[in-house]
Amino acid sequence: MTESGRNCRKTDVGVLYRTLRGVLCLMSGCALNEKEFFSCCQLLLQQSEHLRDGWSWEAVQGSEEGYLRKTVLRSVLADCYDAQKQTETASDSVSPVSAHPIQELQQQERTQPVVATCFHSDGIIGDDGDEDDAVCVLSEGSSHVLQYEYHILYSCSYSAPVLYFRAFTLEGRSLTLEDVWSSVHPNFRHCLQNSPLTAITQQEHPLLGQPFFMLHPCRTEEFMRPVLQEAQEQPRPVNYVLLWLSVVGPVVGLDVPLKYCTQLHLSSLQRSTSDLMSSTVETGVRRFARKTCK
Amino acid sequence: IMADDKDVLRDVWFGRIPTCFTLNQDEVTEREAEAYYLLLPRVSYLTLVTDKVKKHFLKVMRAEDVEEMWFEYEGTPLKWHYPIGVLFDLHASNSVLPWSITVHFKNFPDRDLLHCPSSSVIEAHFMSSIKEADALKHKSQVVNDMQKKDHKQLWMGLQNDKFDQFWAMNRKLMEYPTEEGGFRYIPFRIYQAMTGNDRPFIQKLFRPVSPEGNAYTLGDLLKEMYPAAITNDGEQKRYQVVIHGIEPLLETPLQWLSEHLSHPDNFLHICVVPTPSD
Repeated sequence: MTESGRNCRKTDVGVLYRTLRGVLCLMSGCALNEKEFFSCCQLLLQQSEHLRDGWSWEAVQGSEEGYLRKTVLRSVLADCYDAQKQTETASDSVSPVSAHPIQELQQQERTQPVVATCFHSDGIIGDDGDEDDAVCVLSEGSSHVLQYEYHILYSCSYSAPVLYFRAFTLEGRSLTLEDVWSSVHPNFRHCLQNSPLTAITQQEHPLLGQPFFMLHPCRTEEFMRPVLQEAQEQPRPVNYVLLWLSVVGPVVGLDVPLKYCTQLHLSSLQRSTSDLMSSTVETGVRRFARKTCK
Repeated sequence: IMADDKDVLRDVWFGRIPTCFTLNQDEVTEREAEAYYLLLPRVSYLTLVTDKVKKHFLKVMRAEDVEEMWFEYEGTPLKWHYPIGVLFDLHASNSVLPWSITVHFKNFPDRDLLHCPSSSVIEAHFMSSIKEADALKHKSQVVNDMQKKDHKQLWMGLQNDKFDQFWAMNRKLMEYPTEEGGFRYIPFRIYQAMTGNDRPFIQKLFRPVSPEGNAYTLGDLLKEMYPAAITNDGEQKRYQVVIHGIEPLLETPLQWLSEHLSHPDNFLHICVVPTPSD
């Protein structure tokens, strides 16, 4: 581990480019500092706006400090949700839910430009009322529609992004950790259960002070290092936060469309980043799973 | 000086807060519940040390009226994942002892409090704090070099109130290369009583030693992170800066505070509370 760390620093290019369109980060080392985090988030945000993927930036007290936020509505198939609730399953039993645990409403409503991304409803989301969200009308039985909220924050302790999330029913009942397990990909469920520090735990949101679930960041540098090393050897500009998200997002049911890379207008960057991202999702996910299983 | 420093460690570890637990009057009971008195360790966690409180009140309740236990002080749900001493200093430092806490067994406020279904959740939280503190102090090198049984020793020391057992292991987390003059960054959190915003605490990167090699003080930290807490010359003192129930001098070196006044989780928890107006 220390060995690869040393190698990483040797191939250090250490340059940060700013373009008119956003920021391309050539990573200096394998850790992410707060300024880089902010820049990566702004770039991700730009692309999200093009793709209508629903991410927004929540600033803290008018500073550069803040976090990315996205709300997703999911309908869970009725029988599967009930089955999940009733069974205290062993981790290796395969229920109908594990095959296709989540149906993203986005996939079903491709024709509608404003999808159920940012959801605004009385009594569900707290008191941040300054969003320009559209109201999404759902005809499903509301008890089977869940609202997931994802936040990407920066951890100065681990020099890495951290994923926080929480989920509610439309009636406002908070989902418990047990409920949330059903949104975790079956391949990860087993691994995460064995490794408490990369597991999903309930934590206090460091900026909002409310309970959220969190994917522990202490191993992030470990599984990002090989990916970044590969990028630095080319050298390829990468968006650390986007790459990181493409690895950890799927673990908790958050999809990161590959289209993020094809949105960029620089053709060489387009090719290299999308190659990297598709290989990242595959290898990074495997590495992440291996690391968490220790 | 060494002997005095060790005394500080002991005083911190053995600090206690006399507390009176009263059952929420809306709870359904079979007969009247008496208050329960307990000395709470400042450095521990509510859900770790209140088994006796739970047993006491369960005696007068029916099982069907009992859900997850939670605590509240003057309407504010108490966050069990904060050290007890921090909760007291933040919410009740200038009120009369014993500290009066209300016990609830219903209507768990899941928008405010983390769930605590078992002591393994407390252990995971505690160890997570220790690991985060070491990430700041030593880039995680010391904690990662420890074995699983060493981690267990830290937890068992806290759980069983064993100072020597705990510090036999914790002293490793308090070491640093002499040439550095201190840790890489100081693990700290600054809590503000009654804030207008949601932010529960301030935690940022801060080095204990300046590039010129001078030791930063508590005052330097506050000037950077929470300047409102510093009283300027001629002004009336608006805030108290409290650590383990005392107000350390602002000239105290931050490195020394981190080594001696940290909680067992290896964080320096600093409460900024309004000065009482008598």
